[in-house]
Amino acid sequence: MTGKRYPGYDVQSKRQTSSWNEPTRRAIDERLALPREPRFFNNLEWEILNAACARILPQPEDRAPVPLAAMVDAKVFSRQGDGYRDVRLPPLPQAWRCGLAAMDAEAQRRHHRSFVLLTADQQDALLHAMQRGELKDPTWGDMPAAVFFSHRLVNDITHAYYSQPAAWNDIGFGGPASPRGYVRLGENSRDPWEAMEAKPGLERKVSEVNRRVR
Amino acid sequence: MVSRSTLKLVALGSTALLGTASLIWHTHEKKGRGHVLASKSGAMIDAACTLNRGSAMLALSVLLDSGMEHYRGEFKNRAMYTPLVLSTCALLASGHGVQDQKPSAHRLRDPIYLCTALSGVVGTGFHLYNLTKRPGSFSWTNLFYSAPLGAPAALVLSGVLGFYSERVRDAAHSPVPRVLGLPADKAVALMAAAGLLGTAAEAGLLHFRGSFQNPAMYLPVTAPPLAAGLLAATAMAGPEYPRLRWFSRLWLRFTTLMGLAGAGFHAFGIARNHNGWRNWRQNLLVGPPLPAPPSFTGLSLAGLAAHTLMKKSDHWCDSGAADDR
Amino acid sequence: MPMREHSDDTPVDFAIVGTGAGGAPLAFKLAKAGFSVVAFDAGAWWRPVEEFASDEAHQQKLFWTDERLCDGNNPLKLGSNNSGQAIGGSTVHFAMVSLRFRPEWFKARTLLGYGADWPIDWREMWRYYREVEQALRIAGPVRYPWGPKRPRYPYRQHEVNASGLALARACDALGVAWAPAPLATLSAPGEHAPPCVYRGFCVAGCATNAKQSALTTWIPRAIEAGAQFRDLAMVGRIETGYDGRVSGVHYHREGAWRFQRARNVVVAGYAIETPRLLLNSANSRYPEGLANSSGLVGKNLMVHTNQAVWGTMKDEIRWYKGPPSLAVCEHWNYTDQDKDFFGGYAFMSQGPLPAAWAATQTGNHGLWGQALVDEMEKYNHQVGLKIVGETMARESNRVTLADEHDRHGLPIARVTWSMDDNDRCLVDHAIRFMTDGLEAIDASGIWSESDNTAHLAGTARMGDNPLTSVINADCRSWDIPNLWICDGSVLPTIGGVNPSLTIQAIACRTADRIVALAKRGELA
Repeated sequence: MTGKRYPGYDVQSKRQTSSWNEPTRRAIDERLALPREPRFFNNLEWEILNAACARILPQPEDRAPVPLAAMVDAKVFSRQGDGYRDVRLPPLPQAWRCGLAAMDAEAQRRHHRSFVLLTADQQDALLHAMQRGELKDPTWGDMPAAVFFSHRLVNDITHAYYSQPAAWNDIGFGGPASPRGYVRLGENSRDPWEAMEAKPGLERKVSEVNRRVR
Repeated sequence: MVSRSTLKLVALGSTALLGTASLIWHTHEKKGRGHVLASKSGAMIDAACTLNRGSAMLALSVLLDSGMEHYRGEFKNRAMYTPLVLSTCALLASGHGVQDQKPSAHRLRDPIYLCTALSGVVGTGFHLYNLTKRPGSFSWTNLFYSAPLGAPAALVLSGVLGFYSERVRDAAHSPVPRVLGLPADKAVALMAAAGLLGTAAEAGLLHFRGSFQNPAMYLPVTAPPLAAGLLAATAMAGPEYPRLRWFSRLWLRFTTLMGLAGAGFHAFGIARNHNGWRNWRQNLLVGPPLPAPPSFTGLSLAGLAAHTLMKKSDHWCDSGAADDR
Repeated sequence: MPMREHSDDTPVDFAIVGTGAGGAPLAFKLAKAGFSVVAFDAGAWWRPVEEFASDEAHQQKLFWTDERLCDGNNPLKLGSNNSGQAIGGSTVHFAMVSLRFRPEWFKARTLLGYGADWPIDWREMWRYYREVEQALRIAGPVRYPWGPKRPRYPYRQHEVNASGLALARACDALGVAWAPAPLATLSAPGEHAPPCVYRGFCVAGCATNAKQSALTTWIPRAIEAGAQFRDLAMVGRIETGYDGRVSGVHYHREGAWRFQRARNVVVAGYAIETPRLLLNSANSRYPEGLANSSGLVGKNLMVHTNQAVWGTMKDEIRWYKGPPSLAVCEHWNYTDQDKDFFGGYAFMSQGPLPAAWAATQTGNHGLWGQALVDEMEKYNHQVGLKIVGETMARESNRVTLADEHDRHGLPIARVTWSMDDNDRCLVDHAIRFMTDGLEAIDASGIWSESDNTAHLAGTARMGDNPLTSVINADCRSWDIPNLWICDGSVLPTIGGVNPSLTIQAIACRTADRIVALAKRGELA
């Protein structure tokens, strides 16, 4: 069940209010205008990445999907690192190349098919195995599969997702807040420009309220 | 951004301005050049109308202040509508009373004022509960940020001032005007003095929370207590101390004007929050409460009413004593 | 007011490398005392109100994003965790928690049986704490439950949000005291800044200037006093002369390497860049790096364990409103009973923004897929208690030079860190305690982190013996009399509190000491 806790809520409805400032509008616009085509990954890597994104961060059907793969591609293309690297990992671009290739190799090893062609369950099973450190195909090289899983695969994809307004809407986050911050800081208190949570059965009413949030 | 030295200058300047204005007002009345708030029907009615004005001032302050604060509290408890309703009633009643020259208590106004005062008492209970149920109970954090303990008292005072105005009307033709057993002038004086002290304490608490970052914030913790002290002393001392009375009336006028200036200072304070008035949806609520300072005005007016009653009492004493002999 | 410009070729009295909690107060006080000061920072000079966005990803621009390698049994997370790169250093992104060291910690070895003694008396440090608290207008509680009586904080405490009240209730249930956290952000208008608007993006950079970072406090005052700041200026090497003393710094700015002559050099780049620079400045006279006769440059790296216990409440908490840590409990810093470990910890309420919270859920909680999405939806009902836990200094935890190079051709840092048994004991104790707390307030779905650290310290420790320390109590290196170190590297013990107040206090003291030394003619 996704996206129904805060029906009708959209942080972007506050773009022109004092909750958003100019640097924020520019930053979000830039993010939303990201090219959807890969600049770093080749075709196969791109397909594997897309398949992985769908499993790591399943998105609700009722809205346009956030382009997670494109965001990861952009990060790797710009070599936008985290400012540090676990020594067990090679630098960002190599880690991703290696990891995606290894994922495909593992899929071939288990199911004689590309990762892209596996069923969702099969993909999940493989990802769980990766998380548990059970994958040892030589394609991984010196990079432990579990470290690639946590530090790169899941980290980069989920960071991309939760940098998007659509994700903020799902979790009822107040969103950008400058110059206007918050007044009501106590429990069960929301400011008129925050999302209202819908208790079961009250989705319609709450949706009305959230649509008017400014 | 405003430097501390500029703030000091503004505070000193405002104090000087308020002092000058008070002196001018004082001198004007003394020379009988048109008592600003005089009435034609005699000192008692004059005092009663002044008390109505005081009550109105407080009621307006409560209406706007509790309106904003209870809105901030999302009217989570239905009872939070009560001070809005009752302060409106008190306001209307006082508006009626100000133009009423009849020397008798009004059938409707009286119970309205009583209910108003009572609801203020109940409100204090609610605020006490709100404070003590939070972690830390009587902690500084809760005194600063939970429902303000002293706020409903303004409603009590509004009701009490109105109630006194009715009693004073009733006693208008009595030889010795008494209100609840005490001579009218003493009763009103002591009540106004207590109100001034209590309001100063509330302002002091919140200005302490604001770290007295603007030196002008010391005004409401110095002038009103001084006015209260002088007023109480005057009431207890009797007519043989004309200098004391002079000072008392002057300080009451100062405090009256200070209450109005306070609203101006609070507007300035709101402007000093991030993005000032442009961010009004936040800053009007989190900034210093605009309607609060005029409660000092209302209480000082009550103090001035007490002085009117004292003068009347003196005249009666003089004439009465002469008659007795 | 226009900034004074110094020429590269004329030696300045003090070249300061790094403009954070160590470098900025020093730059201000030295300039005020009449010295000529140029301060360098590899990072950019931001104008928060005009340039900060309410967006975690965009604000990554505040952090050190050049590569560093992390290894050891518990490789550290750097970057946005603890490594600011900007004029103002890590104070631009810090969470503003401003706590004093417990007095006994300054004699940890003698009084408490662990770590090392500081070469400074606690009373003197507490006087400097007051100087910093006044300068930053710290907003703190009227009554502080722990330690000796302290003077009133210049501004009153902030309102405690729902997340902080959860800590308060947990502490009440556990029978320990709690307090509104003393924070370096205004609770009432200040001369140069408005009060906090409780927007909650503190660790992504304050866009209102309510936060009292070095950028908004020490640095403007330093400029007024005549100091010069050079942003986007990476110092790569400290030069020494034929007499073995430092003669200036090589820095890269506007596309070229330049050299600023200086009579004194202060290294204030925090606990990774400081040892890196000292090691990178090795030459024929000092083959092991500068100020390293003890061999301790880079060693004794300490962090704070930063594990948290998380839970879900029936109430809406909406912890994103306000500074992340509005309430604190220092109980386990001030008691020595019922502890099976050395050192102490404080714990604080939490308010992570979405991407940071997602990182916690995927990292320590190991969630992904639909499980992650479902868990993230509980965002507005979460509460958390997170420790700042003392770790012990060990020489095997260290910063060394790696074989990789950065874009300037300089060897990058390798950061090696592993927990020891004492650290683990402390964390276990804390997790048990905080779990009890959350259970007592009827939180559900309680889970705890196994792996998390924050802050850095120790890699150029201060002491009273040149064999066992890098610098003396005045932050002057034993080896080179005109080379100083003034940042988190100098802490001999890290304590159980956030280090920013202590670092700034040391910087203020160092400035006074330098002025005193200069008067006696003992400056280089």
